[in-house]
Amino acid sequence: MEQQSLVLEDIHFSYGQVAALRGVSLTMGSGAIGLLGPNGAGKSTLLRIILGFLSPHKGQGRVLGYDILCEQRSLRRYVGYMPEDDCLIPGMDAVSFTAFFGELSGMPRAEAMKRAHDVLFYVGLGESRYRLLETYSAGMQQRLKLAQALVHDPRLLFLDEPTSNLDPQGRAEILDLIVDITSKKDISVLISSHILTDIEFLCSSVVILNKGLVAAQGLLADLRRARFNLYELKVKGESDGFLKKLESRGCRPEMTEDGLLKIYMPSGLNNMEIVRAAAEEKVQIRQFIKSRTSLEDLFAQTVGVD
Amino acid sequence: MIRDRGYFHWDGAFIDRRWPWWPITRQGLRLAFKMKLFKFIFVGSLVPAFVFLAGVYISERLEDFKAMVHGRGTLISVDPAFFKTYYSIDFLLLMLVMLMLFSGAGLIADDAKHNALQLYFSRPIRKKDYFLGKAGVLWFFLLILTLVPGLLFILFKIIFSGSFALLRSFPWLPLSVLAESLILTVFFSLYTLLLSSLSSNRRYVSIMIFGVYIFSDILFGIFYGLVRSPYAALISIKANLQQVAAFLFRLKPAFAVSWVYSLLILGAICVLSVFVLNRRIKGVTVIR
Repeated sequence: MEQQSLVLEDIHFSYGQVAALRGVSLTMGSGAIGLLGPNGAGKSTLLRIILGFLSPHKGQGRVLGYDILCEQRSLRRYVGYMPEDDCLIPGMDAVSFTAFFGELSGMPRAEAMKRAHDVLFYVGLGESRYRLLETYSAGMQQRLKLAQALVHDPRLLFLDEPTSNLDPQGRAEILDLIVDITSKKDISVLISSHILTDIEFLCSSVVILNKGLVAAQGLLADLRRARFNLYELKVKGESDGFLKKLESRGCRPEMTEDGLLKIYMPSGLNNMEIVRAAAEEKVQIRQFIKSRTSLEDLFAQTVGVD
Repeated sequence: MIRDRGYFHWDGAFIDRRWPWWPITRQGLRLAFKMKLFKFIFVGSLVPAFVFLAGVYISERLEDFKAMVHGRGTLISVDPAFFKTYYSIDFLLLMLVMLMLFSGAGLIADDAKHNALQLYFSRPIRKKDYFLGKAGVLWFFLLILTLVPGLLFILFKIIFSGSFALLRSFPWLPLSVLAESLILTVFFSLYTLLLSSLSSNRRYVSIMIFGVYIFSDILFGIFYGLVRSPYAALISIKANLQQVAAFLFRLKPAFAVSWVYSLLILGAICVLSVFVLNRRIKGVTVIR
């Protein structure tokens, strides 16, 4: 049976009167999971609870087998965290910086130093490991954050917006590193990002939070199949009535800027309903393609935003 | 050595440090000594200790310095007043402030500015360990300038005189040295950490560390000039430290105000510092 790296059951948390999490339950095995949600969905609160900084008002959970309520310090020893913001200590070079945080995780000093060299080579900072951190570019700082998160060889890695503020090449390099970590090594990775294409590239599973609840959770492929079908149409004729008819049948039509009509169709509905509606409204269908639903489509459908 | 660009696991074992804050202190000390100006200030702040140590030597080698005595019985007397003078001279207190300014202004401010707090608190350390680690940097410098010289004065006096007369006459002196050193150390470290936590700009913090200390003394001077009341001394950080030092060495304070008030004011600043630090630095800020 697969070891669950993260198990949360019915987690509730409120900031005063404002409920941030309202019964979140989720499990995470190995591999990479994307954590998605609009602003205010409860992602940060969930990460704070998982790292043991907040105690849930109700519910329980374990991270790598450690109780989130009473073993917070122990669990942080085995968890790596790469924050979104640029983080550094001025005056330090990359080796001493990385080794320092290895030591704070509980590594012996000499081993932390040796390991710091290794992870810096791994993330591609080997040649510049003795440079002052203030002189690092945005891409190098991103790699440095990954190095400090990996230095103590965590079993669970939290990556918060790992590709933000990067140029295309830097982004591709960080993505390659994360793919390498998630695919070949026995480290579970939870990635929180607003760049949905990155999540789609890196993760096989996603958790979508919305208004403090888990709106969707599971394998990306299953969610795409189970939730809706997406069709792309090109039509000729007056389409207003056609769109209204589709909406009345539970579909969500969306006209793109280049005149393509996207129709999100509930999974139980037959695609012939589209053809029937077009016939009733005397609209010609010039193109009818079953499209592959992107994560963006899934996200929009789940949280109800365009 | 050419390394493969590949990830591999670490096969070592984690250790439970007795003092989890020690790596933070060690790192802080390394960073402080990297600053050239700091090294200069640090050496300069040791000057009073060496001058007073020379005073201890002179006090026991009077024969060698007869030409300087000009008929007086004693040149320098090593007694509680000698110690009180060392601990309350303006130059030493100013150098302590300067040391705090260079070594302590950025301790929390830099972490806040460069988001390093997130990295600290995602590790298995408590807020207490973080503060102890930062305070440890300041304690190192403060104790080197307070406790170490005080104990060395006593030790060298015993060595140079070849007797325990000083301790026989004033058996409480080592305790007074210890208490005064602790008061200076605790006060200046909390004062510095408090101000360092109030801004993420090291320069502003530096100005505050120096400015509050000097301004409180200037304000005291103005009020004293206006009202001629010794209670005006309670406004000044320096005067409060000097009042407490006078009590600890069983001497008459410079101002006719009870030392208890001064101790209460210094204590209140320390309590306020702990309260503010606790409020401003939170582990939960790790995730924004």
